[in-house]
Amino acid sequence: MVTYNDDASAPESNGASPVAGVFSTHHKTIGRQYLWLSLASVLCGMVLSTLLRMHTSWPDTAIPFLAGVENTPERYAAVRLLHGSLMVFFVLTAAPQLGFGNFLLPLQIGAREMAFPTLNFVSFWLTVVSLGGMTASFFFPLNTGLNVWLASAVIFSLAALFSAVNFSTTTIELRAKGMTLPRMPVTAWAWFLNAILSLLIFSVLLAGATAVLSDRLLGSNFFSAASFLAHQPQNLVRQGNLPLLWQRLFWYFAQAEVYVAMLPCFGIITHLVATFARKPVWKERLVVLALCGVGLVGFCVWGYHMFATGMNPYAPLVFAVLASSLGIPAAFLLASWVGTLWNGRVQFTTAMLFTIGFISLFIAGGLSGIFLARHDLASAAVSEDFVTGHFHLVMGVAATFAILAALFFWFPKLFGCRMNESLGKVHFWLTFAGVYCIFMPMHWLGLLTQANLLPDAQRVALASAGASIRTLVTVATIWTVTAQSLFVVNFFGSLFGRKKAEENNPWRASTLEWSIASPAPDENFGSEEPAVYRGAYEFAANDAEDFAPQHLSPELLVQKAR
Amino acid sequence: MPGTTAGHDIELIVDKIADNGGGVRPPPGGNGGGGGDGKQPPKRRRPSPKRYYTGIALAIVSVLMFFMALASAFLVRRGGPDWVPVHVPVLMWFNTAVLLASSGTLEMARKRLGLLDAGGFKKLWGVTTALGIAFLIGQVVAWRQLVGQGIYLASNPASSFFYIFTGAHALHVIGGVGALLYVTFRNFEKAQVTRVVGAEVTSYYWHFMDALWLFLVALLYLGK
Repeated sequence: MVTYNDDASAPESNGASPVAGVFSTHHKTIGRQYLWLSLASVLCGMVLSTLLRMHTSWPDTAIPFLAGVENTPERYAAVRLLHGSLMVFFVLTAAPQLGFGNFLLPLQIGAREMAFPTLNFVSFWLTVVSLGGMTASFFFPLNTGLNVWLASAVIFSLAALFSAVNFSTTTIELRAKGMTLPRMPVTAWAWFLNAILSLLIFSVLLAGATAVLSDRLLGSNFFSAASFLAHQPQNLVRQGNLPLLWQRLFWYFAQAEVYVAMLPCFGIITHLVATFARKPVWKERLVVLALCGVGLVGFCVWGYHMFATGMNPYAPLVFAVLASSLGIPAAFLLASWVGTLWNGRVQFTTAMLFTIGFISLFIAGGLSGIFLARHDLASAAVSEDFVTGHFHLVMGVAATFAILAALFFWFPKLFGCRMNESLGKVHFWLTFAGVYCIFMPMHWLGLLTQANLLPDAQRVALASAGASIRTLVTVATIWTVTAQSLFVVNFFGSLFGRKKAEENNPWRASTLEWSIASPAPDENFGSEEPAVYRGAYEFAANDAEDFAPQHLSPELLVQKAR
Repeated sequence: MPGTTAGHDIELIVDKIADNGGGVRPPPGGNGGGGGDGKQPPKRRRPSPKRYYTGIALAIVSVLMFFMALASAFLVRRGGPDWVPVHVPVLMWFNTAVLLASSGTLEMARKRLGLLDAGGFKKLWGVTTALGIAFLIGQVVAWRQLVGQGIYLASNPASSFFYIFTGAHALHVIGGVGALLYVTFRNFEKAQVTRVVGAEVTSYYWHFMDALWLFLVALLYLGK
């Protein structure tokens, strides 16, 4: 294996631990830091969701944390929003794009650093401040909390904009010699396109959040929350119902994040499917076009909604339309994944299992999205079980599976060792079964509540069925969250029990990051500039090896084949 | 790199295989030749300044999007019953002229820099900075005039939009003045870019601020 940095034995503290070089401008350190941030957020978010489910099923039981705040409905709503904020902002948005993207984009395109390291640093720490603010906002009284939450959203948007400028500039300007656009890995394409999309979306969100914040703090008159609340059902409006307002503002942000969260996941999945099926991506250029389509259609639908309502955060949601606008490009991506898997020599590693899990969840969630697109689901409907089940499958859990797949795949490059495969597989199957048991019954629950037209006797029967389904969902939630302890054990066990000298390219992958040592050395490619000779997915291109790495010159490839 | 050095030096008859990526092949010697002997120390060059141009262009797109979003809100909100038009203070037209003039002096300064006339550049660049600061002071005075007329941020939707447009623009101009001062005082011997690049990137942003202001003042004047 030819590498650019044979003699560089990985330094002991390679930023792999969270404490080493906390205030660093280095892209790999920042990428890892984002992942740590996401890990902390996802664990908190999961615990919160369990508490919420337990509260729904057994409202009389004293539940820690919820019991302390006397189980008021406002607190319940606030905890739900905290769960949503942590997951959407700091897991789904942060991990696939900012975590893996920061770490891998320069490596995959053959750069030493991001284009603007200092900006990257600022962006990361703004994200940390925003995480702190959003978490803290739920411990304040509701009125103050809402303001703190909005201010944190402003900071988050600002950080996302800085990152977006950084990512796009890096991709445009810092590609290695020979790394033409068609040769760029689909992952790098996805990060790039997502950065462009974020650049447009987060500027609008920044403007919107600033205006709402100014309304609340300085008394300006951009949007009228009063008229929004006046149009809600009477039982929801009690003295300017703050939880409702807060929930509405949360969705104002979250509906834009559908794309920002999913685009990099599509890239990761395409990349892993090709690598583990040992086949080139089927119709690679069309896949890139489909990714552009996700961004373009997404922005057009969302942008139309935004600009038609004058950015009014209290205008009715278009969540269902947004999700179904993914339809055509997503169908194409699915076709490509299946086409790549077709006749492939599929290797069922843990990363690949999570990848296939993603595809399964994406299909299941996408199918229920078709039902949603038919109904007019105005503002309040978002809390309904059917919608909750739908977006959790397609956005929440599917994206989490992509993150896990990426983590298992790139763990050697990130930390210099592999995670335990057997433990990973057990974790996968438990989680996979668990999430289906949570979110499929949730769809049924949503349908049950729609059955208002039935005669009374049947409704009573359905209501009792609903209660047992609810219990099933709660039990499945506890099951799934418990299963994650396997992941935590695997993660930290691998990290601290790691043996040195992981091979550079354990998965026999073809992109540039696998041409250097594991964990990736500080200088990335050593003293030599990397050069690229071919596309990113040339599997089965050669007799001796079943793949041709991007960095190997044709001369060396021939020599190696002898 | 002992293991690979031999590989670079051996001449191989190359069958043209495995280059169906479709793109341009890297020039010969790019990978193998340079580092093959391992004796040359790695060269420390200034990184290509192109990233700064790309970066500022993308930042401009983002800022533009921010103001377009507010403009859309403005246009949708305009018809409302509680809308009381705000008239653009006369002083703001004067400020507009000041900002336009600053763009002119900025270009003149860059021309001086192109002619390697450091003194002339410094002078004109200083004039630009002063005009930028004068614009900001003028905006503050105009706001005070409005406040004197009893028009506050919270008065009605029109005044809210008036203040947020002019205020957000002023914040962005402060950033521009910061960039002008940076180019003035930065020791470019030690910097990653040359003064020419710094001045050019700053000029893109400054002219954009200028054009944005023309758009905003037209929107506020025509859309009231």
